Amino acid sequence: MTGKTPIAGNIPLKGSRTSLVCLAVILTAMPMLVGDFLRVFIAEIFIWGLFAMSFAMVYGYGGMLSFAQAVFFGAGCYGFNLGTFYFHFGTWGAILSAVAAALLFSVPVGFLATRVKQHHFLLVTVIVSVLITTTLSSGHWRWIAGPFVTRSLTFVPELSLGLVTLSFIDTTVTYYFTIAMVALAFGLAWLMVHSPFGSALIAIRDNERRAQLVGLNVNTLRWMMFIAAAGVAGYSGALYALLARYTSLSFWDWTYSGQAVVMAIIGGAGSLVGPFLGTAFYMIVTEHLSRYFQQFIIIFGVIMLIIIRYAPEGLWGLILRGYKTVAGVRA
Amino acid sequence: MSDLVVILVMNGFVWGLIVALIALGLSIIFGLLDIINVAHGDFFMVGTVLAWTIILVTGNFWLAFLVVPLLGFAIGAFLERWVMRPIENSAELSIVATFGLSLIFQEVVRATFGATPKRILDPIGITIPILSLDYQVYRLFAAAVSVIAMAAFFLFLHKTKFGTWMRAVRQDRETAVALGVPANRVFIMTFAIGTALAMLGGVVAAPITTVDFRLGLDVLPLCFMAVIIGGLGNLPGTAAAATLLAVMEGFIISFAEPTTARIISLLLMCVVLLVRPQGIFARRAK
Repeated sequence: MTGKTPIAGNIPLKGSRTSLVCLAVILTAMPMLVGDFLRVFIAEIFIWGLFAMSFAMVYGYGGMLSFAQAVFFGAGCYGFNLGTFYFHFGTWGAILSAVAAALLFSVPVGFLATRVKQHHFLLVTVIVSVLITTTLSSGHWRWIAGPFVTRSLTFVPELSLGLVTLSFIDTTVTYYFTIAMVALAFGLAWLMVHSPFGSALIAIRDNERRAQLVGLNVNTLRWMMFIAAAGVAGYSGALYALLARYTSLSFWDWTYSGQAVVMAIIGGAGSLVGPFLGTAFYMIVTEHLSRYFQQFIIIFGVIMLIIIRYAPEGLWGLILRGYKTVAGVRA
Repeated sequence: MSDLVVILVMNGFVWGLIVALIALGLSIIFGLLDIINVAHGDFFMVGTVLAWTIILVTGNFWLAFLVVPLLGFAIGAFLERWVMRPIENSAELSIVATFGLSLIFQEVVRATFGATPKRILDPIGITIPILSLDYQVYRLFAAAVSVIAMAAFFLFLHKTKFGTWMRAVRQDRETAVALGVPANRVFIMTFAIGTALAMLGGVVAAPITTVDFRLGLDVLPLCFMAVIIGGLGNLPGTAAAATLLAVMEGFIISFAEPTTARIISLLLMCVVLLVRPQGIFARRAK
């Protein structure tokens, strides 16, 4: 009700198709230009960007400040690893089992959390995250995480594409696979938020009582968005488990949700592109700052405060605003 | 065995009173300013670190009881005026902003104080026998300080003009402003007092816990639990819930793992949030 995050992604821009093609060309050409390290680094930006985007889906579009995204990311990581370990799934099956694991958590959590409003919603998500992390890391329940409490994947997964089977030992394969999978998820999410379903959610976010009077089932719609975003978070967790071949119980912790919040807010949580931009900014700056200054997070805290104060629509909003000013001057 | 239970329940009681003191700050900030202060645990943590620093610089722990709450008051006033005030119309952004503050506090402490946990020695250093075991006198002293601070705060709230203003703004902001209550001053004062209470809690708790930049993350869920189970904005309820919760955890720890105790209280809180979001002590919604 009070949350008025400006929506930045909805304005159809004249050059958007051209820039999309340019981006696709650049991303396709990238592995030929850079080495192993940068390939993995770029792929990682896209994975964490997708994770931040899942937060933007619940917060920017659903108006729900969720700190439970990390639970679903963790569920995705473990869903992937345990799928390969217990059921000997291939890459595709393991990704499906990761998403299924995330959904398994999100259905009850979302059901409970969307019953309550605003502040209580935040608290329920934080409490549930703490509850799940505490349970998983306590002695009695460690077996759930099985052999992957801190260990990494012991084999290199392979990707079967009907006729050919590619190995993820090749970073080029990993790179293209990750980018393609992220693009797929982004496309689906984009279709979702621009569907009548997405419009209904924006209506709820902007004025809940009016949306209710119009006849929207507020709780169910928010619940569905929560589940969809959890699915995306779990999916990004699976991609991470595949890329890094490493998982840790700390991925469940709500401080990771906090990281998604930071990245999404910096980039602009009111759009789907913003979180990717925020993540890229966060990770590139982190990569450089951490060499000189260990406590670089302080700077992000300050940047976040400045952005909330002066540009609540984030970096992407600033870019759009600048673009419109320039285009307006030209026209 | 039964002696151990008594000691653990007593420890729980003392810790509960300290948490009540911290949670009181969280509760008034929420009740008046409508801010869920995610950085509140870090205010507490800064309190413990400042206590440690004061011992390091002056060698006198008791000085911290005077200096740290004053510093907390100043920090809180500054944050309200320059960070929270500009975004007061959006509850969600204010949560995100306090989250940013939390990151800044933690990392500043890590950069200056260091990442390794440190301990403060028992400043009284006397134990008294309770049943068959020795009990630190400092813990009893800590409980007493918490009770006195809370009593003083309630007296302030009910016996002074400023306290009346604060209660008036909490009840009905617009009417209070219309009747001439200087709302902005009340807001600054509230945030400052809330911060001071959390930092005082930090000083009181410093010799009992370890001093660590991650301490806030442990305390924050406890405070939230107290505030929620006691009812958001319900001050006596918050204090009672904090004490009850800690005693309960202390009792459970005597026969089960600490994590089990924490899991039980978290589950309890989930139930309260979903069934009685107004808290278990609320008579009726205001």
